Amino acid sequence: MATTSEAARFRHISPAEFFAKYKEIAGFGNPSRAMYQTVRELVENALDATDSHGILPNIKIIISRPASSTSSNHYTITVEDNGIGIPPQHVPNAFGKVLFSSKYVQRQTRGMFGLGVKAAIIYAQKTTGEPVEVVTSTIGSKRIYYFKIKIDLAKNEPIIVERGSWRKSREWHGTIASLTIEGDWGRSARRLIIEYIKRTAVVTPYANIVFVTPDKQVYFFKRTINKLPPPPKEVKPHPRGIDLTFIKDLIKSTKKDTVKDMLVKNLQGVGDKIAEDALRLAGIDPNKSPHKLSDDEIKRLVAVLRGIDPDYLYRLQGSVGEKTVAEAISENIVGIKYEQAIAAAKEAGIDPQRLYAELSEEEIDSLAKALKRFYPRYKAPSSESLSPLGEEIIIEGLKRIYHPEFVAATTRRPSAYQGHPFIVEVGIAYGGKIPSRNRPQLLRYANKIPLLRESSDDISWKVVMGLSSRRAAAEIDKDKAMREFWSQYGVEFPAPLVVLTHICSTKIPFTGVGKESIADVPEIERELRLGLMDVARKLKRYLTQKKLEAEKKRRVIVLAKYIPEVTRSLTIIAKDIFGNGIEEKLRNKLIELAAHRIGIEQEEVKEIVDSVETGV
Amino acid sequence: MSVSSVDKRVREHGIRLFREKFGKIVKNILENKPPVLLIPKRTLSNTIYDEKNKMLLLGPEYLRRSFFDMNEAKKFMQTMLMASIIYDALVNNEYPTIRDIYYRGKHTIRVKKKGMRMEEENTWDKQSESDSVIRDIEVYLGILREELLILSKEKGKVVGNMRIRSGDDVIDLSRMGHGAYSIEPTPDLIEFLDVDAEFVLVVEKDAVFQQLHRYGFWKKYKAILITSAGQPDRATRRFVRRLNDELGLPVYILADSDPYGWYIYSVFKIGSITLSYESERLATPAARFIGVNMTDVFGTSILNINKLKKKLPPDIVEAISKLPPKKPYLSERERRNYIIKAKPKDVERAIELCGYDVADACLGNVRDEKIRKAIRGKEGIPGYPWFRKPEWIRELCIFFHTLAKLEIEAIASKGLRFLADKYIPQKIETGDWIT
Repeated sequence: MATTSEAARFRHISPAEFFAKYKEIAGFGNPSRAMYQTVRELVENALDATDSHGILPNIKIIISRPASSTSSNHYTITVEDNGIGIPPQHVPNAFGKVLFSSKYVQRQTRGMFGLGVKAAIIYAQKTTGEPVEVVTSTIGSKRIYYFKIKIDLAKNEPIIVERGSWRKSREWHGTIASLTIEGDWGRSARRLIIEYIKRTAVVTPYANIVFVTPDKQVYFFKRTINKLPPPPKEVKPHPRGIDLTFIKDLIKSTKKDTVKDMLVKNLQGVGDKIAEDALRLAGIDPNKSPHKLSDDEIKRLVAVLRGIDPDYLYRLQGSVGEKTVAEAISENIVGIKYEQAIAAAKEAGIDPQRLYAELSEEEIDSLAKALKRFYPRYKAPSSESLSPLGEEIIIEGLKRIYHPEFVAATTRRPSAYQGHPFIVEVGIAYGGKIPSRNRPQLLRYANKIPLLRESSDDISWKVVMGLSSRRAAAEIDKDKAMREFWSQYGVEFPAPLVVLTHICSTKIPFTGVGKESIADVPEIERELRLGLMDVARKLKRYLTQKKLEAEKKRRVIVLAKYIPEVTRSLTIIAKDIFGNGIEEKLRNKLIELAAHRIGIEQEEVKEIVDSVETGV
Repeated sequence: MSVSSVDKRVREHGIRLFREKFGKIVKNILENKPPVLLIPKRTLSNTIYDEKNKMLLLGPEYLRRSFFDMNEAKKFMQTMLMASIIYDALVNNEYPTIRDIYYRGKHTIRVKKKGMRMEEENTWDKQSESDSVIRDIEVYLGILREELLILSKEKGKVVGNMRIRSGDDVIDLSRMGHGAYSIEPTPDLIEFLDVDAEFVLVVEKDAVFQQLHRYGFWKKYKAILITSAGQPDRATRRFVRRLNDELGLPVYILADSDPYGWYIYSVFKIGSITLSYESERLATPAARFIGVNMTDVFGTSILNINKLKKKLPPDIVEAISKLPPKKPYLSERERRNYIIKAKPKDVERAIELCGYDVADACLGNVRDEKIRKAIRGKEGIPGYPWFRKPEWIRELCIFFHTLAKLEIEAIASKGLRFLADKYIPQKIETGDWIT
């Protein structure tokens, strides 16, 4: 929730329009999904209001049937946090006006749609007619504020139904938001919501989470670590990741007088030199007022800023007809002149007069490389905007929920795809109280949000199931591939194995609108694979060690338990030769030899030998 | 207690052997060498048929039984335990039976360590286990258990015109009345004093032995008459061997005409597969199978040599066709009365003796599904070399052809006189036996 941001950072769209368009996508298609989605929106806001600001979260989620309501399918969902709170002047707009978060700055937040809780408020209003109730107080404020707000859908304006405030009698800050919606607490909704909260608890071991169900069942996930993930910093967008809408929005709001200044002020890693180069390539006067840019100029500017994209060069093959390489490039790549196209082609080892459509994939790749020379070079996108969980938190979280006998986690170094920085994290938990299953139990997260719907086209799913995206999925026996993959790491199914994957990025490449699975991005797949191999190797070491230890124990017992009998028996024959002291000597010698043979302390063997009883 | 001088000597030898062999193990342990036993392997694969001496012997393979080998630790413990029991009995002038030993050694080993599940196991559970350890001790020390004064139930009996010394007593085997002398479990301790006999007749069946004894067979024909009362024990086999070896008496075996009877003969002659290590002392390679033969029942005309040619090697068929023909001792009517139908188990055992190819060549149309199944199950079995002789193949061939068997009692019930005065003497006289 961008509650602390300036009003200037928001722009309006009609809520009715928005809701008509996004109801299904936003997850309010039916009462059961709506209930789940409402919980999610509120919980994610609550977490963003706490851990992103250095506060150890205490989150309370209560779903109840309102006493006043006549309808049995009305539910009140209340979420309380101990976050930074919302200044009272922002409350009406934060809850009563549909806004899009500004994209002028980028930072990883949980909210996935930019619609936040407002979709849930509209849904509540439409189904039960109830306003949202908000109680909030900021840190240091002496008062607690209370609101009941509805949204005027036609005007997209908040309607304050009730408001009030009282003096704080104790040091409290945070927000309590309460919504009454038409919902469903059937089996599937119950399972989904509980699973969601459980999975959220996995990645927030630093949070106390209490969940009270409509049946008055209480789930309590106690905080097990007092360390928060470092809060993400706000960074400017990287030029390679921008798009047309972004530039247009920027132009509308910028206070700079020249395009050059606008770019330098708002883009990551763009100084005077790069800005001038880019504008020259796009054929734009750097001193032109941003407001005077034509649509065509804006398009060219975006193309230059995004840089040479090999994908675009491939796609071009289908639309250039009988054009030669030199023609196709100079006519379609902004800022590249005919002579430059010839030079680039030659540098790539391609005859510039060949038909562009006939170039091979490798040739296009070389051509793209050669063309980059004419374009501005940027530093890799900054990863400061990202907030990975960190190995300690993943380990702690997996421990708290699954009580495994082994757990490991890894946070990969930052990487980037198409101008978007990302970090992959992988956790693994094995044994203990984890039930054995026929395949790994996969917990997927994107920007700390659990992705619940298991999806076989998700990249994490493929990697964890041992499938390579390069192989045609249909051709192989998936179960066999999965078993073979894990077998390398000493895991034979059924096995008690949980794998956690977390991808954090300023832009998660979801497949489709469902936002439940992540696309096959080679850079991400690579990081996932390396991360998984890293933790799987640790697991393998553990399992091998465990096996060895078990084997050793077994050996000690097998040998040690017979030592008294062997000693006694040999003594019967040997005492006539070696005398009576031989029994003690034999016993100690056998203990010594056995310990040496197995490679453990004599004391350990002796302990077992001493515990042997030979009865008749 | 008055102990015979013979026993005393044997005891002392046994005690020395134990001290020497097991004292060495103790010495090794004290010198930091891991406890290991090297025992000749008692497996079928380490059993070889010694063509020259015509008996089964242990091969050259040794088993390394290390106490520190997980899979051998228990066996090692059992071997030590067994050694201590036998040694203790030797020292204390005892005569344990193998069953006594089983009970003496059987107890529970319990590991009761804090924080660990209690483990419990018996030193051994079944007598077959302790028996097997006794056999290990025998091969390890190179001595038979009888020489360690371990006894088993006496089974074999003997009568005849001979005197022996057993312990410190002299026994006249011709003065046993209607009874007979039980062959003691330690036949090596018997001393042969004087003998007036021409041959040894070993009868499988106790009942037939008694009939021949009361008939006065051994007096009339100067025989030493012995029964093994079924499968021969080691004492009977050793006794027979000594009669053959030391007195040079020919040994004739009279058994049922069925695969079980043939196998009993085989044990006397060659040794048993499971106990091949004692063959050297127990087997009587020169033992002769005097009957009852299939050819005594059916004659040889029942065989169709041409049929055999199809499935048997030509040299064997050639050899069979050169054997002298025989007429049956039984008439068609007697055969009908005495013959018993072979069971699937009989057929299986017969194939094990002489090989699948003989069965395949000689079997007629078999209607019985169980027998057909038994035959199929034995496909490819090669048979024992000592049964791959033309005489035996001819016998077995008639068995497969007729699927009939016959007990010695059938011959006896044709008339004891027939058995004692005609069948046996005539067969000995004409050399109508198989080796």
